[in-house]
Amino acid sequence: MKRPTERGGTVKSLRQAMSLIKMGAPMHPIFVHFTIALTSASLAFDALGFFFDKQSLTAAGGWALVGAAVMTLATLSTGLTSATRALVEEGEARSFLRAHMALGLIFYGLLVAIVFWRISLWQSGQSVSWVYLAALAVVALVMTVQGYLGGELVYRYGVEVEQAYRELPDHDAESPTPQLVSSKSVSTSARAKKQGEAA
Amino acid sequence: MTGTLFIGLYPFQWIALLSALMTLLLLADALAGHYRSGFAFRVQYTPFISGGLLIIAAVAAAVAPNVTWLNKTLRGAGWLAVASGLIGFGFHHYYGIAKKPGGYKWLLHYLMYGAPQLAPLALAIVGALALLAAQGLAGGARVGGLSIRAALLALVSGALAGAILQATILHYRGAFNNPAMYALLTAPLLAVVASAWMVVAPNSLMLFVLTILLWLTFLIGFVGLGMHLRGYERQMGGLYVLPFNLLEGPPACAPALFAGFSAVGLIAVRLL
Repeated sequence: MKRPTERGGTVKSLRQAMSLIKMGAPMHPIFVHFTIALTSASLAFDALGFFFDKQSLTAAGGWALVGAAVMTLATLSTGLTSATRALVEEGEARSFLRAHMALGLIFYGLLVAIVFWRISLWQSGQSVSWVYLAALAVVALVMTVQGYLGGELVYRYGVEVEQAYRELPDHDAESPTPQLVSSKSVSTSARAKKQGEAA
Repeated sequence: MTGTLFIGLYPFQWIALLSALMTLLLLADALAGHYRSGFAFRVQYTPFISGGLLIIAAVAAAVAPNVTWLNKTLRGAGWLAVASGLIGFGFHHYYGIAKKPGGYKWLLHYLMYGAPQLAPLALAIVGALALLAAQGLAGGARVGGLSIRAALLALVSGALAGAILQATILHYRGAFNNPAMYALLTAPLLAVVASAWMVVAPNSLMLFVLTILLWLTFLIGFVGLGMHLRGYERQMGGLYVLPFNLLEGPPACAPALFAGFSAVGLIAVRLL
């Protein structure tokens, strides 16, 4: 905490900027978006290709699905890394975490199975069918439930959220140096300030 | 090479890769189990030598299927894995049951809490799978009087039967505390019967049924992986104390063998 940049000072050189890089942010929330976007895009492209008989859209759906299967490997591995860092006490949050972890691998099994199905369709020169679209919709539904569980873990229970941030430098030059504070202490200090003004 | 190309690879290249992958998963569980017992005997390092060779040989043979010496190496590694698996079975039986206090009188106890009796046979099975892959890569069509497809299905049937038996004992130890623990007694068990049926009396209806059952078994493998991961998280400290819970919890990679062997079965029924 001795570096000026960490006390809210200005970054004046590239070296100082480089020294701030810690790569401490959790990677799982980054990769989940690839899984969600690519799987959803695959369903959307395939459905549009099926209804409007557009081969280019169907091809895009296939490649998006393959991309989802590849990227989900990174999602799974970073998820496991996140889970090993999450010190969650026994209770609701851990129940959500357990369900999220179990469903993650089940979703990946479904994804791999449907990728193989899709590749066999492509190899035999067949287009997607109603049955395939329904199966992909089920996979997307499982992914939605999985995403919801993950969202609850972060936004309701704050798993892997540091709950501390640096205050903006105050306008008053005489004000004390900004420090890392928790959101709770921010609300307490704001309340105290308001009470002081009212008095 | 025989069979239909799938994503640029022939069926026996896929089977060689699958045998490498399954060996890797087996070794991961063996490492946890043998480390837990403190590698009390030097012979406990054997599966890592024979299994490691099998992984290298299988990947190399899949990458260069037309190189004769690589095919011979795969056969050698396959036989070595079969031998070490059978020897391991003997060791697990002797040190896990026979030599324990009470011995066979405490059979059920040692089946549940001793060394997993059928686990070393899984190494023998992947060794046999590598031998079939080598035979197929060399263009062989028959093994021991059976067509190579029937031989693969017979192997899948035996492998799944062994995996179900071992897992049922361990799930019984876990008191089937979750309904999902019964999953291995559903589609995988029927897949064992259907695979054996296809070996003895192949027909199109049974082929269709077997394909469905193998896909379900493939998915159940992933369900098992997820639920075993959940099993670690249920223990004190969960994944936060991963090394400890990895040793004390359910075998991490074992359910993947259901997916792996069903994938071999699917290759046999769809691509050969």
